[in-house]
Amino acid sequence: MRRSFLKAKSKKFLFALATLLLFAGCAGARTNSAKSVETGDHRKFTDGIGRAVSIPPNPRRIISLAPNVTEILFALGLGDRVAGVTSYCDFPEAAKEKEKIGDTLNPNLEKIISLKPDLVVVSTSSQLENLTLRLDQLAIPVYVTNPRTAPDVVASIRNLGEVTGTSERAAEVARGMESRISAVEQRVKNLPRPSVFYVLQTGPLITAGRNTFINDLINIAGGKSISGDETADYPQFSRETVIARAPEIIVAPAIHGSELVKESDLRRDFATTPAIRSNRIVRVTPDLVDRPGPRIVEGLEQLAEGLHPLGAQASSPASLPK
Amino acid sequence: MRVESLIDQVSTQLPGDPVKSYLTRRRALIVFSVLLLALLGCAIAALSAGSEHIAAGRLFPALISKLTGTVSTLSREQDVILFSLRLPRIALAIGVGAALAIAGAAFQALLRNPLADPYVLGVSGGAALGSITAIIFASDLSYSRPLFGFAGAAIVTLIVYRLGRREDDPAHLVLAGVVMSTFLSSVIAVMTTMADNVKLRNITLWLLGDLSSGAVEGLFFVTIAVAIGAAVLLTQSRALNLMMIGDRDAFAMGVETARVRWVVHLTASLLTGAAVSAGGAIGYVGLVTPHLVRLAAGSDNRLVIPASAIAGAIMVLIADTIARTALSPRELPTGAITAMVGAPVFVYLLLKSR
Repeated sequence: MRRSFLKAKSKKFLFALATLLLFAGCAGARTNSAKSVETGDHRKFTDGIGRAVSIPPNPRRIISLAPNVTEILFALGLGDRVAGVTSYCDFPEAAKEKEKIGDTLNPNLEKIISLKPDLVVVSTSSQLENLTLRLDQLAIPVYVTNPRTAPDVVASIRNLGEVTGTSERAAEVARGMESRISAVEQRVKNLPRPSVFYVLQTGPLITAGRNTFINDLINIAGGKSISGDETADYPQFSRETVIARAPEIIVAPAIHGSELVKESDLRRDFATTPAIRSNRIVRVTPDLVDRPGPRIVEGLEQLAEGLHPLGAQASSPASLPK
Repeated sequence: MRVESLIDQVSTQLPGDPVKSYLTRRRALIVFSVLLLALLGCAIAALSAGSEHIAAGRLFPALISKLTGTVSTLSREQDVILFSLRLPRIALAIGVGAALAIAGAAFQALLRNPLADPYVLGVSGGAALGSITAIIFASDLSYSRPLFGFAGAAIVTLIVYRLGRREDDPAHLVLAGVVMSTFLSSVIAVMTTMADNVKLRNITLWLLGDLSSGAVEGLFFVTIAVAIGAAVLLTQSRALNLMMIGDRDAFAMGVETARVRWVVHLTASLLTGAAVSAGGAIGYVGLVTPHLVRLAAGSDNRLVIPASAIAGAIMVLIADTIARTALSPRELPTGAITAMVGAPVFVYLLLKSR
């Protein structure tokens, strides 16, 4: 009896001791982390949508929740530090080898946590407000990028360079992009601006509105979108209006052989437009014009070449009076 | 046609047949002329309205010059807008509306169930699944959408019919249909997550009903389906009248109920398949239109089926014109408009019938 009582007592004691130590440990850890913020170990940043984010220096396990973010991280030479990407992240080739955390719209929270990230980068285009909130509550640093225009993209690359401790490399990438953007701007500066209709898809007919990336690219490439005053981002658009506004060039995405927008559909629906009559359908690679990442300049150059072909600048049909 | 003559004999022998007494030549004439005039008026208004307005007064001269081949008073662009875009789309709206409303009227009469409609029975879901399969896996194949839609509707009809076949219990069939449509919508949900981003948007918009893109190939199939469907169902409308009293009574009066069931069910399904594959899942037309017609003109199916066709055409035509013009140059999904109008009307009918 007595013996067992003692035993129980000592058990209780051990348990109490352990609990005490655990608490002490936790308290210690807490003060430690607080201290590190004070000493500037963690650094404070303001992200693309104005949130204050505290991020450890040189994050080692970065998760990207958008293809454009993945491209930026690899361009900054951070490929080794990328711990997870979405299933849509297919560029560069090495990104395909990375751990997948779901697709852009439905990332798997458990998978993200299991990868123990010290930084998660989100793009606003993925509409992940809820996920951002959850990660915040779990004290996982989330940095949101929010590029709306081509200059925004360059700025977001600089910012991500700061955040990840690669600002020199970022500045290099950004300068390269800026010079290519201004080269395009210079080239089209004095050329007439043809009216452009961007077809995201037919059936139903979807185009791009004012605040979209593609609209900005069309403007920089020396064109003017006929749906450039639409407030919705990707509105379903009236075919009648397209015919009445008579675009001089139709821009449509094309991918690896299988076309998203069939040429025969465009020729049938918009036969009267100057674009079809003078056979000016410009194909752009969707990944290059849709993803606000480093390759956006390639998309821009592709678009500029389509709107203002280098070989035919002097006698471009766009320069003829309507 | 031994059955038809039998029904004639039987129904003339019935004193004060409640169904028969509703329909007179005069009533039919009034109903059809009112509906046709309304349809004509709506069509003219719809031709004139659009993101590019063309005055109604210029339509007729333009039509004449188009038919006679003389120089049109319209600009080239207006000519294309009017004759290549608006006219086919209006024709498609009329065809889709007629198909859905006839199918709804037939299902309601056959099942003696005011809630019966292509959507409740899962037939629309089958057509939608077929069309979505075509969009995802066979978008390069021409006519794949309507053909797959037909196939989907027909297969679902067969399954639902087998599952729900009970001698005199229409509720069983509706139950089978409800189960089928929930099953199909989950299959569609799984398929849309498999599709890539752009096609996904295509599908979600199309599921809401879209008449802007099916005009060319869809119109062909819908026209054929409506012509065949209306003709077949009209031959069955007397039998349907008797079956509304009850299958056993109808059988006792000489109606081959099993055969009528099969014919009506398949025809209505094919109508739905054509309509859904051409115009997406436009709801409430098949449900509400026949009720409105019965309310105004009595429940004799010889009148209800063709009158529903015209009324359904008017409904979808108005809805689609609103979809084209309300926020132009932006376009709205046609199915959203029919649901916004149709749902309150249906609730009103429910409350009123109590």
